[in-house]
Order: sequence, then C-alpha cells, then structure tokens
Amino acid sequence: MVAILTTAFTLACVGIFLLLYVNLRAAAGWLQDDIKIMVYLDERLASDSIAEVEQHLRGDRAVASLLFISKEQALGEFKAQFPSESHLLEGLGQNPLPASFVVALSPSFRSPDAINRWAERVRQIAGVSKVDYNQDWIDALATVIRSIELVAIGIGVILSAAAVTIIANTIRLTLFARRDEIAILRLIGATTSFIRIPYLLEGAVLGALGSTLSLVMLKFMYELFRQQMRTTGRFAGLDNLMAFFPPSVCLALVAVGIGLGFAGSFVSIRRFGEAKA
Amino acid sequence: MIQLIHVSKQYDQRPALSDVTLEIGKGEFVLLMGPSGAGKSTLLRMLIGAERPDEGQIFVHQKNVTTLKPSDVPYLRRKVGTVFQDFRLLPKKSVFDNVALPLLVQGVSSADIRRKVTEALRAVGVEHKRDQLPAGLSTGEQQRVCIARAIVNGPVVLLADEPTGNLDPALTAEIIELFKLINARGTTVVVATHDPLVMGQVNRRVLTLSQGRLLPEQRVMG
Repeated sequence: MVAILTTAFTLACVGIFLLLYVNLRAAAGWLQDDIKIMVYLDERLASDSIAEVEQHLRGDRAVASLLFISKEQALGEFKAQFPSESHLLEGLGQNPLPASFVVALSPSFRSPDAINRWAERVRQIAGVSKVDYNQDWIDALATVIRSIELVAIGIGVILSAAAVTIIANTIRLTLFARRDEIAILRLIGATTSFIRIPYLLEGAVLGALGSTLSLVMLKFMYELFRQQMRTTGRFAGLDNLMAFFPPSVCLALVAVGIGLGFAGSFVSIRRFGEAKA
Repeated sequence: MIQLIHVSKQYDQRPALSDVTLEIGKGEFVLLMGPSGAGKSTLLRMLIGAERPDEGQIFVHQKNVTTLKPSDVPYLRRKVGTVFQDFRLLPKKSVFDNVALPLLVQGVSSADIRRKVTEALRAVGVEHKRDQLPAGLSTGEQQRVCIARAIVNGPVVLLADEPTGNLDPALTAEIIELFKLINARGTTVVVATHDPLVMGQVNRRVLTLSQGRLLPEQRVMG
C-alpha cells in the first residue's frame, strides 16, 4: 500500500509537470496559429498577374489560408488603425500602400526554418515584391517551446527514475521476505521465468495502481484549481482554456506506470537472481 | 547414474573436496558418511548444480552437470529429489500444497497433481495430514512430507542431506525404512549423514569423506 501511494505521488509529480507542459504547449500552439505572413505585390501589378500569384499560392501545400488585401483595403485599414496619421498619406497624392496576401501556413510548416524556406521560395515568384513576417517573434516562440520540451523531458526522466527506484525497492523487500520460498522453488526445479513472472506482474500492478491513483489525484487538484480560478474571477476565461489529459493520454500514463513498475521489478529480480546464482 | 571424476572444490583457499572420484550405479543405495565439514553437503549440492567444482567432471543421469547451462539446471533438478535436515517446507502452505510444488512448477494438470500428491503422501504415511500446515506436524511428520515432496514427480535419484539430524532413534529408523522402500522401487538413493545410527540400519555401500577426501570404501551389515 505504501509503495502504491509513494509511486502515485511520484507519478503525480510527473503528471503535474506533464499537465503544465501540455497546457503551455497548447498555448504556444495558439500563438503559432496567429503567425501571419505578408506577401506584398509589385506596385503596378495587373489584376491578371495578381490572380496568377493567388493561384500559385493556393496551389502551395504549405498554405493553410489566404486573404487578399487590395491597395484600397490597405489604405482603409491604415486609416482605421491610425486615424490621426492618415493625413501623412494624403500628402503623397496617390495610395502608396501595396496590395498583399495575408498567408497562414499549415501546422507542419510553422517551424522557423520552414517559414524561412517558404518565404525565400515565394520571394522568387514574379510579381512578389516582399515577404514579411516577424522572424524574431517566431524564433523566440520556437526557443520557448524547445526549452519547455527539454525541461519536461529532464524532469520526466528524473521522476520516472525515482518511480522505478521506489518500485524496485518494494519488490526487493518482497523478494527478501520470500527468499526461503524462492530458494525452495529453485531446488525443486522451478525455472527462472516461473520464479520471476509473479514478481514482474506484482511490479506492473503496483505501477498500474500507482499511475491510476496519480491520475485521480491530478484530476482532483486540476478541478480544485479551476474552481479556485472561477471563484476569484481574477483569471476569468483562462479556466476555459485549460485542459486535462484526453482519455488517450490517461491510458498512455497508466501504460507508462505499468512499464515503470515492470522495469522496477526487473531491476530487483536481476540483482536478486545474480546474488543467489 | 552418478559419476564424479577427479572433482575438487575450494572455499577461500580451504579445500572442501579434493580429487574425489566415484561412481554410483542405477538403483543403488549409498550412504555418504563423514563428520561435519567433511564435504558431504558440498558434494550433494554439486549433484544438483547448486555448486560448480573447481576441477573435474560430474555426470548425473547421463548429463554433464559441470557444463550444464544455468537455464538447464531446473530440468536436472526435476530428475533429482532432495531431502534436507531442516525440511525446508513452506510454512504458510498446507502439506498438500507443499508436496504439490514440484508438480506445479512443471505445469502438471491439477487432476494429475491431486492423484500424484495423494499417492506420495500415502507412500510416506501422512495422507491424513494433507490439509494441515507444517507447523502443526511433528518433526518426523515434517520429514515425511519433505520426502513426499522429493519423490512426488518420480525422480531417478533421491539425495538426502542429514535427513535424520533432527530426529530421535525411533524416527530415524522409520525414515531409513522409507528410503529403503523408495530404493526398492528403483530410485537411486544417496543419504549423507554423520549419524552412526543410520549406518547401523543399512546394509549398503558406504562412502566416507574426511576433510574433503574419499576414504577406501566399506560395506556394513545391519
């Protein structure tokens, strides 16, 4: 029982971090969804040529969505966004703002490198004068995501090793308590697997129960946290953006628990077996 | 059935067995005599692959135990029944379950287990104690249960290490009679003992070990 609880607490720590990671990753994903690339067109591009560029972009599998902004629309937007500065353009006589396409890329083309390559390619298209996007922001976002991933992997590995050690020690105590029984089984002709399998199963069951209990604890803490956010009202709306693990991840976590339990007993049994050989 | 060729074994520079060569034929009943520390237990442990000799070869039932892979040792032990001075019964399992253990590890069907365990318990005279725990039995009965466990899967060899060490003379005589009966059914029996009472009750071949060396053979009448 103590082993199940200790395993549950350890796995819950893994779970808390994983939950944090999943939510941060999702948040980073929303930010990535907002990355828009501006494809500016040549000043005096005929409407046929604009249609050609549009066709070219629409045929690109990296492009998720496309919005055309004409010179007039650009001017209208500028005036709407900067009403006090609109007189600056009036002095020029003609509309200096170019027509453009606002492009959103597909998720698999949103890495900084992929965006760079895509922008480079689009610059070569006849009629395109400039491709603009916020490279610093994209690089910073990618760095943040990579850091979150690295820290998640690091903490996950450390806590998983802790879970394996806890289960290994529990199984070692069980093996020690049953050493006479094991010695007798060996003497009467039990094979190694006959002796090992029950302990491997015990480790796997410990891991399964520990991880299930850790999920229950996590869910409870998660709901409590959300409730707290709702009642204080300070982060209203944010609680709806938070998400718990989907069922598939929950099942995967139980499977990881089983795997860690199995690994823990395997380590103990091997050491015990070598000592008794 | 059993053959040792120039077998030697040392523990921390101290010889446990020195150049022992012997042969025990199928169906023989052999007493392995000698004082404590003479090397009797070491020799028996080598016969079941629990110890490896430093030198020499050991054959049991045509198998070279010296070169046996660890994964093959359990299969050798299924052919060799072992009886110990301290019985080595599982305290939380009933007499029936203790005796059933060698069959269970071999994956014998439960119907066959029931039949064979009942036969073995009947052969050693403790069938009526089948549902009791070992702690509820007398020492003589515990040793009988240990013998039933050793013979339940019909071994070709029965090894007994000081089987009467914890028994009084009357019980010793009973246990020796039991070994004689098992031997009469064709099982090779090797009893290691330092108990002169046992020697007095057996008219068989005697091998004597002294400080790890095998002394010239003798045959006793009893």
